[in-house]
Amino acid sequence: MDQQTEQVELIAERRTVIGKQVKRLRRQGWVPGVMYGHGFDPVPLQFEARDLQHMLSHVGGSQLIRVKVKGQRRPEMALLRDVQRDPIRGTLLHVDFYRVMMTERLTAEVPLEIVGESPVVEQKQGILLQGLSTVEVECLPGNLVDAIEVDLSDLTEVDQALHVRDLAVPAGMKILTDPDEMIVRIVPLEAREEIEAEEAVPEAEEVEVIGEATTKETAGG
Amino acid sequence: MLMPKRVKYRKQMRGRMKGKATRGNTIAFGDYGLQALEPAWITSRQIEAARRAIVRHVRRRGKYWIRIFPDKPVTAKPAETRMGKGKGSVDHWVAVVKPGRIMFELSGVSEEMAREAMRLASHKLPIKCQFVKREGTSAGE
Repeated sequence: MDQQTEQVELIAERRTVIGKQVKRLRRQGWVPGVMYGHGFDPVPLQFEARDLQHMLSHVGGSQLIRVKVKGQRRPEMALLRDVQRDPIRGTLLHVDFYRVMMTERLTAEVPLEIVGESPVVEQKQGILLQGLSTVEVECLPGNLVDAIEVDLSDLTEVDQALHVRDLAVPAGMKILTDPDEMIVRIVPLEAREEIEAEEAVPEAEEVEVIGEATTKETAGG
Repeated sequence: MLMPKRVKYRKQMRGRMKGKATRGNTIAFGDYGLQALEPAWITSRQIEAARRAIVRHVRRRGKYWIRIFPDKPVTAKPAETRMGKGKGSVDHWVAVVKPGRIMFELSGVSEEMAREAMRLASHKLPIKCQFVKREGTSAGE
């Protein structure tokens, strides 16, 4: 588990353009965003796309960020809550920041970091399947960690799995995700080659239509 | 080949393929995916051909997912038939794909192998596609 070491700073400006007009902002190299939190009014913000992109490349949803709004004297501590991207180009569309109170417990998504290698996967007897990549936790902002480690070296057999309940939880943190949810599992390699199996191709017309058979039966009888 | 087992209505209207995919546009199961960049009807034959291309390349090393399903019937009239006399019979099944849709996913293999498998699969499809990785890394090719 990595304790948070450094704090990231991000400069923002208050945004006056709202609604569909934000398209214009995006063309000018800004990314619209919003900052909200318990007991605070939401504040529309805008960020320079390049700075934000750079920050997102090394900051996850569980790392505290100092958001410095131009014109305000003190920076705000916030968590990255949501990032909207264009599904095709991957460009940033909008970001949400959650303003935190350091004395109030919060819920956040903490990423799972896979460490080590399972001997079964190394010997190519199975494939590693990952079910979860983050878990939801509740803690004080100061207790947040960058990632929770998942050690694969304990997985020595095919069909063995690690669940949320198996995670080593850092002090002061409570996991909210269902303890029975699977994080990783070793699945066996496909036993047969499916490629060459030439099956009889069913006719497109042969699909059963719901209600049609019963209607015919009723009409006939 | 993929096709529904039961349907509520035998034939459908053609519909339109406006806009981008709003669902199924992120990688959900695997580590790598093949994303559509154009709208198209992907037939069950094309899906099967792409699937085979992936399986052939990765052999038994990886696990793959097909994220589209051909649930739309396409009708055709027999050859040398005069017009009229109603709509033709169901000829084949297609999946309606819009730009952004993740069509195939793959995990358990190296990125290089996944890229090559997806490249081979994309040649079996009638649209431009791009290789994508699980979130955290930017889309690209």
